[in-house]
Amino acid sequence: MGTLKIGAYEFSSRLILGTGKFSDVDTMLSALRASGTQLVTVALRRFNRERAEDDLLGPLAALNGITLMPNTSGAMNAREAVKAALIARELCGSLFIKVEIHPNPQHLMPDPIETYEAAKILVKEGFLVMPYIPADPVLAKRLEELGCASVMPLGSAIGSGQGLATAGMLRIIIQESLIPVIVDAGLRSPSEACAAMEMGCSAVLVNSAIAAAVDPSAMAKAFAHAVDAGLQAQRAGLMPKGDVAVATSPLTSFLS
Amino acid sequence: MNASGEIDDGSKALAELLSFQSLLSLESLAQRAQALTLRRFGRTISLYVPLYLSNFCSSGCAYCGFAADRKTPRKRLTFEETQNELSALKQMGFDEVLLLTGERTPQADCDYLASCVKLAAKVFHRVTIEAFPMSVEEYKALVQAGCTGVTLYQETYDRAQYDQLHRWGPKKDYDARLEAPERALEAGMRTVGLGVLLGLSDPVAEALALFRHVRQLERKFWRAGFSLSFPRIRPQAGGFQPLFEVDDRLLARLIFAFRICLPDVELVLSTRERASFRDGMAGLGITKMSIASRTTVGGYQAGAAMEGSGQFEVSDERSVEEFCRALRSRRYEPVFKNWDAVYREVEAQKVEVCPCD
Repeated sequence: MGTLKIGAYEFSSRLILGTGKFSDVDTMLSALRASGTQLVTVALRRFNRERAEDDLLGPLAALNGITLMPNTSGAMNAREAVKAALIARELCGSLFIKVEIHPNPQHLMPDPIETYEAAKILVKEGFLVMPYIPADPVLAKRLEELGCASVMPLGSAIGSGQGLATAGMLRIIIQESLIPVIVDAGLRSPSEACAAMEMGCSAVLVNSAIAAAVDPSAMAKAFAHAVDAGLQAQRAGLMPKGDVAVATSPLTSFLS
Repeated sequence: MNASGEIDDGSKALAELLSFQSLLSLESLAQRAQALTLRRFGRTISLYVPLYLSNFCSSGCAYCGFAADRKTPRKRLTFEETQNELSALKQMGFDEVLLLTGERTPQADCDYLASCVKLAAKVFHRVTIEAFPMSVEEYKALVQAGCTGVTLYQETYDRAQYDQLHRWGPKKDYDARLEAPERALEAGMRTVGLGVLLGLSDPVAEALALFRHVRQLERKFWRAGFSLSFPRIRPQAGGFQPLFEVDDRLLARLIFAFRICLPDVELVLSTRERASFRDGMAGLGITKMSIASRTTVGGYQAGAAMEGSGQFEVSDERSVEEFCRALRSRRYEPVFKNWDAVYREVEAQKVEVCPCD
């Protein structure tokens, strides 16, 4: 079914997982395993080198077959994100960086201007830059021109569970993009992940919907199936959508 | 702002939830609060610890065990003692420390506080203060020292009551206190903690005033993070009794209603409250808690003599380990480190981070 290619990396799984909000590390690790994910994001602010039981990096780094993508959550501007990215690379050795700059700590919407500035620097620094952005088609192209490895537009606000509220903009981004488009944030149910994949997204990133589920591992598995189903459907070619019924007996046959 | 030029701050919705005529049961509010908390904060509770640096005070607040006319022994930690206390807290696993003093005195002024912040910032990723109203310049000096947040409760928004209870001293100036959070944010603080001391005036009116205060700050300082606390008066030297009763059910209703009306702010519950109430409220709106707190000056070092009484009596006296076990048994993860000093350093030291430019 083809792989997701980012830089020199190839992933057979199209489901990327976040690692916050889980009730404990074991629950998080079980969910990761159940999801079959190969790419996982973790916030630098949750690295704790002084207290092992409070540290997310240690247990994640010990997993086989999983590439880590640190993120800069907590950064309020480009300077902070760049500094965080450089430190995260030093600590976990990954070339991936998910640039997350949300200056408003309440609604956590990404700052397009600071994200662009940070991406400019981090691309030059040799990172595989994965920016979390508003679903803005122009910003997506501008980031592509900079040399970002993907764009990660939001489906809706982080943790809101409002699904693909930005569907119309996402379709434009997908149509125009030359780099992978990964829907990040806002997904609540596997059917929404499936819809994102049917739409043509290269992958989806899910955190809250799995971490806050009653059974995170079972939900992770459900998301994995949904992402596969959506990808298969997209590949199979969905029939065109119409707003009138198509008559099986043509109405114009008498016009021969 | 709406088409008529009015700003709807949402306080009507809060008033409806807090109304005694409200048809919504406490249980239904709890369920909504839990769902919103879970969605936004997941199954995590952030932990912090208070460290009282000094109990010298220049004000005479009727409800406070550290008021200047109490006979309690006065103490200020030396820098060496502060260092030792901070090390002890670090050993306990904490990564966020709240440094406290009384109202401004020559013993514990801004320079002293800035020096203590500097010491704390060497070992803690997150350092915040709860002290006294300051000028923008003074707050800036604290930001430079590594402080990222200010907690300052108005205590009561009822001006008449405020005037009566703050018998004398600099804290008598209602407006200087009310406007201090704004000065802190202007100076570059990232977070502000607001609260009312429940029991001083009508709790519903206090809640609405607190709500309006935070909403007004949110609009002006859209980059700032906010946390809210709902401390109830505890027994303290001086024997002040609450003027308004706030029972568990009312406190719970306040917390649920704030979570429903402000789904994204941190709501804090300290060790003023007893263990069973705290355990029950974790995740029902509450997202941040202190534990193993001492309200005496210092007192965390092994073998440290407990001198005098604290600012108030702590209710939840469990150890860090006991509390974490209790949270985990309810499927909540205690989070000690939820921020990184890298973000603070960029601001404070103006480090060169853009090698490509």
